[in-house]
Amino acid sequence: MKAWFADFAADFRLNFIDGSMWKWLVQGLKNTLLITFFALLMGVVLGVVVAAVRSSYDKNRETMALHKGFGYYVFTFVNGICKLYLTVIRGTPVMVQLLIMYFIIFASSRNDILIATIAFGINSGAYVAEILRGGIMSIDNGQFEAGRSLGFNYVQTMLHIVIPQVFKSVLPTLCNEFIVLLKETSIAGYVGVMDLTKAGDLIRGRTFSAFLPLIAVALIYLVLVVVLTALVGVLERRLRKNER
Amino acid sequence: MSANEIIRVSGLKKYYKGDKIKALDGVDTVIHHGEVVVVIGPSGSGKSTFLRSLNLLEVPTEGEIYVNGENILAKGADINIHRQKMGMVFQHFNLFPHMTILRNMTIAPMKLLKKSRAEAEALAMELLEKVGLADRANAYPSQLSGGQKQRVAIVRALCMQPDVMLFDEPTSALDPEMVGEVLEVMKSLARDGMTMIVVTHEMGFAREVGSRVIFMADGRIIEEGEPRELFENPRSERLRTFLAKVL
Repeated sequence: MKAWFADFAADFRLNFIDGSMWKWLVQGLKNTLLITFFALLMGVVLGVVVAAVRSSYDKNRETMALHKGFGYYVFTFVNGICKLYLTVIRGTPVMVQLLIMYFIIFASSRNDILIATIAFGINSGAYVAEILRGGIMSIDNGQFEAGRSLGFNYVQTMLHIVIPQVFKSVLPTLCNEFIVLLKETSIAGYVGVMDLTKAGDLIRGRTFSAFLPLIAVALIYLVLVVVLTALVGVLERRLRKNER
Repeated sequence: MSANEIIRVSGLKKYYKGDKIKALDGVDTVIHHGEVVVVIGPSGSGKSTFLRSLNLLEVPTEGEIYVNGENILAKGADINIHRQKMGMVFQHFNLFPHMTILRNMTIAPMKLLKKSRAEAEALAMELLEKVGLADRANAYPSQLSGGQKQRVAIVRALCMQPDVMLFDEPTSALDPEMVGEVLEVMKSLARDGMTMIVVTHEMGFAREVGSRVIFMADGRIIEEGEPRELFENPRSERLRTFLAKVL
């Protein structure tokens, strides 16, 4: 047992202390959190916009078709773009999207963190959009009709009546998407970003000892996800309390 | 347009799937202030579609609807303003589950009529008092029985102080022992002179409270008239067969 501890301590020193390699993990963690946070922000904004366009198009098509004005054609066009976005993003691997972003679309830029953030944000937006649209569609149509029959317009009905209910029902699924996003950023190393995973891998390459660096990386991800899940749990309970 | 006319419908048609399904196939009628019009008919006759067309929850394929002399299907007509003046009660209540009863009733007057909270709540409490639910003001819809929910739904619509109330099978989703309490509220509303259009299967209500009964089948008005006349001397074969089944 004593020998095992001595081995462990030596291993620990080799992988993290010598050459201050723990700093790589800190730097990697910082980059992972940075990319995740801003990709999340971008994904939510994109997702809300796309979900709003898609679901209001579906709900209002009939009424708008009554007097086919200019707005009807613009709306149809924008809806088409949104559909195309969803199809392309959800139909190709995020890894390929990241490489395309880095080597084709932003080939002239070498700001790898920014490019990775944009790639993950655009990717996440598509999933967030479909989660939100699913949430909106899961609300009984009677809720829309009750809102509209009182005289609320479409936007007011969404804002006061539908969205508060949607938010509560999609929160667990949305949380799941955020967890997926956090872990998905682990491929950012492919375009030269030193994220958490890449940092662990660099240490492994330097020390030729795989166990500790990779387990450490895994543990850090795990802690992040557990903390995130706990936070959402608190929020969920608080929202439920308002119901009764 | 006569002075006390409130809704005029002409040539109203609603087709689905091209023109394969004709939910409404040419409906013409006029509703006057203070009338209680009860719409009856077999299922699939178009009576709900007709009612829902009046506030454009259903967009008609063809025809005209005038409310207070204004064509609500015209380009530029503001349907939201019209809906504020037309209360609607649904078969499935459609209360907002994330709000208290009081909030259910005050949100529209506060946001749309710009009433102050105190003013909106005073009216809401007065109406709740009338339907015997004042003590449930701070409850959530999930804590109420079906009959209570429907009574709340009625007073929620009344909070907007509408000119006309539309009822879409208000008692069809209720347990039998709760039908009475909802009909009672509707009767007192009728006594107070509210203009009402009621789609229902409650023939007793039609006979007792209705000032006019419309019988629909296949998307058309087959027969209409005073309840007693219509129930006792049905002229059309369709109405005779229908009444034989439901009475």
